[in-house]
Amino acid sequence: MLGWFDENLVSILNGFAIGALLFVLAVGLSIVFGMMDVLNLAHGAFFLVGSYLAVNFVAGDSWGGFLAALGVAALVGLLAGGALSGMTEPLARRPVLDQALLTLGISLVVAEVLSIVYGNDVRSVSPPPGLDTSVDVAGSAYPAYRLMLIGVGLVLALAVWLVVERTSVGALVRASVADREMVSAMGIDNRKVKVAVLGIGSMLATVAGVLAAPVYGARPGLDETILLLALVVVVIGGLGSIRGALIGALVIGQVESLGRALLPDVASFILFGTLALVLIVRPRGLFAGKVAHS
Amino acid sequence: MLHHLSGRRLLGGLGVGVLTLAVAACGGGSLGEDEESGGGGGEGGGTVRIGLVIPQAGVYTPLGEDMQQGWDLWLEQNGGEMGGFTVETVTADEGEGPDTGVPAIQRLLTEGDVDAMVGIVNSATALGVAEQVTEAQVPLIVANAGAEAITQAAASPYVWRSSFTNAQIAGAMGEYLAGEGIGPVYVMAPDYAAGQEVVAGFTEAYTAGGGTIAGQALTPFGTTQDFQPFLSGVQSSGAAATFVFYAGGEAVSFVQQYAEFGLKDTTPLYGSGFLTEGSVLDAQGPAAVGVRTTLHYSTEIDNETNTEFVEAYQAAYDELPTTYAVQAYDAANVLARALEESGETTGEALSEALGGLGEIDDSPRGPWSFTDQTPEQAVYLREVVDQDGTLVNSVVEELGVFPQP
Repeated sequence: MLGWFDENLVSILNGFAIGALLFVLAVGLSIVFGMMDVLNLAHGAFFLVGSYLAVNFVAGDSWGGFLAALGVAALVGLLAGGALSGMTEPLARRPVLDQALLTLGISLVVAEVLSIVYGNDVRSVSPPPGLDTSVDVAGSAYPAYRLMLIGVGLVLALAVWLVVERTSVGALVRASVADREMVSAMGIDNRKVKVAVLGIGSMLATVAGVLAAPVYGARPGLDETILLLALVVVVIGGLGSIRGALIGALVIGQVESLGRALLPDVASFILFGTLALVLIVRPRGLFAGKVAHS
Repeated sequence: MLHHLSGRRLLGGLGVGVLTLAVAACGGGSLGEDEESGGGGGEGGGTVRIGLVIPQAGVYTPLGEDMQQGWDLWLEQNGGEMGGFTVETVTADEGEGPDTGVPAIQRLLTEGDVDAMVGIVNSATALGVAEQVTEAQVPLIVANAGAEAITQAAASPYVWRSSFTNAQIAGAMGEYLAGEGIGPVYVMAPDYAAGQEVVAGFTEAYTAGGGTIAGQALTPFGTTQDFQPFLSGVQSSGAAATFVFYAGGEAVSFVQQYAEFGLKDTTPLYGSGFLTEGSVLDAQGPAAVGVRTTLHYSTEIDNETNTEFVEAYQAAYDELPTTYAVQAYDAANVLARALEESGETTGEALSEALGGLGEIDDSPRGPWSFTDQTPEQAVYLREVVDQDGTLVNSVVEELGVFPQP
């Protein structure tokens, strides 16, 4: 048992790193859909915007560039989310599918604009100084940057959970999900809450894009691959649940890492195999949102 | 309030609709024409209409750009004429796969009124159109797709190839590594037709030469961003070297992660040349230095034609040429020779002329010839070196002339 653990330690560790990244990516999607009923299919495109911003600021050359990329990406994410909120408002009373189609269209436009601006070549970003080396983990080399990702993911998970569960802002968000009319009747503009939630959700996507750039690089088509992963995480974890997004991300991180290492022959199916299994056993995800939709 | 809202809705909806339509039009793959289409389809005017089928959208777009540049450069150097005929190029978007590529070629055949076609990156697309091309009797020179079947199981007298075959390139490496006696090799490739052909081609040549395979992994194609799970397989297999085939984004991720996870220093990396070809090499950066690959072209091949070609290409496009550019350049060359030979533009005459061309002695890749309609050519062992800040594939040695296995 100990031998097995030793042998697969790097894969397990890597599963946590990928899981942390997936959490940052998926939690925004989960909050926005779970709380505001907007299925944001432009989430992957926003992620790619972040990755290309990292390319722009040549994030690997200095910490200044990396942090600047993070800051600009956060700002761009906030603004994009706000704009998205305005665009989906007229569709608020229409079925979710209509909004999904709108965001799908937006994601196509964004991806095409990125391809025009940055070209179609694959771009890579090196980790910031100090993290661009590999450290020794149980006799195998492991990239230092991925270790940092685990820390970032945990800190962010804690922060998001604290905000939603323990602050008055979070209470307001939860209240507007449970009963929007009642919140409006108390004099709070529901649309402002929606703008804020979409802004923060989209910000998490662009920030995840910057964080992922040293691992995944930036290239056309990455947005779709990433969106699919985020959707799988959200479905497995349960919509609208922070805890669910965290568990879902960690499960998928291990499936993609340890699972593929142990069962390389079924690597292509293992992700969707897990998804199917969860859907059969727990159709609403492992941790469906605490607040039910009316 | 309501009026206000509906006004905004209308405006927003319209805006998005228009944008989406604009994008759809860009990616829709309509036939684009370089020169004015005057003259109709008459043969007497001494024009030849050639369809250039290259990816203009999707993951293969960089390859399409290189092919377009190689094609354009040849035409420019030859006054836009092939064997006395004025060339009219009709460009069509191949897209990523046969779902877009096959209709693009259908349109060229039915509406484009073309005499010949050049291009095609994707093997499935090349195989998917073989029948129609044969029926229409319009010669097609495949300028990239490397599937064996294109010129073997699914061969047609009208389908030619100016590029390579997957097993030709991989087999050369297998033979070389077996001769070097480097020990057990771990083999990796994406899990689709080309990857499987490369793995089979390498394994066959390597084991035939007395080598052993330490293990193999076929990674999910297009969805593998992280190679760590498979790299730990390499580590635990005790392999002395790794041989892989990856291209595009996967090539960048793989080479970088191979270095990040410390394998580069312990287990030398070998590959099919596409691993370090073109724009992916710049993105890989220092991680690629020292990687050895086999391919039928390198900018560093030491012959006069190649030196002139590289200079002209750099002057025109301010970047180094790639094998994709050379394949399109050579396709133009053989087509011109065939037109010169036959003096007419019918498919039958062109195909016959292509078959009788013999050795092509003025290609940047060195001399090559059609054997069973696909190149029999020299394959080079290349190593990535840093040349004053630019990464290039230097030629270590010529491994000899290889036909399609």
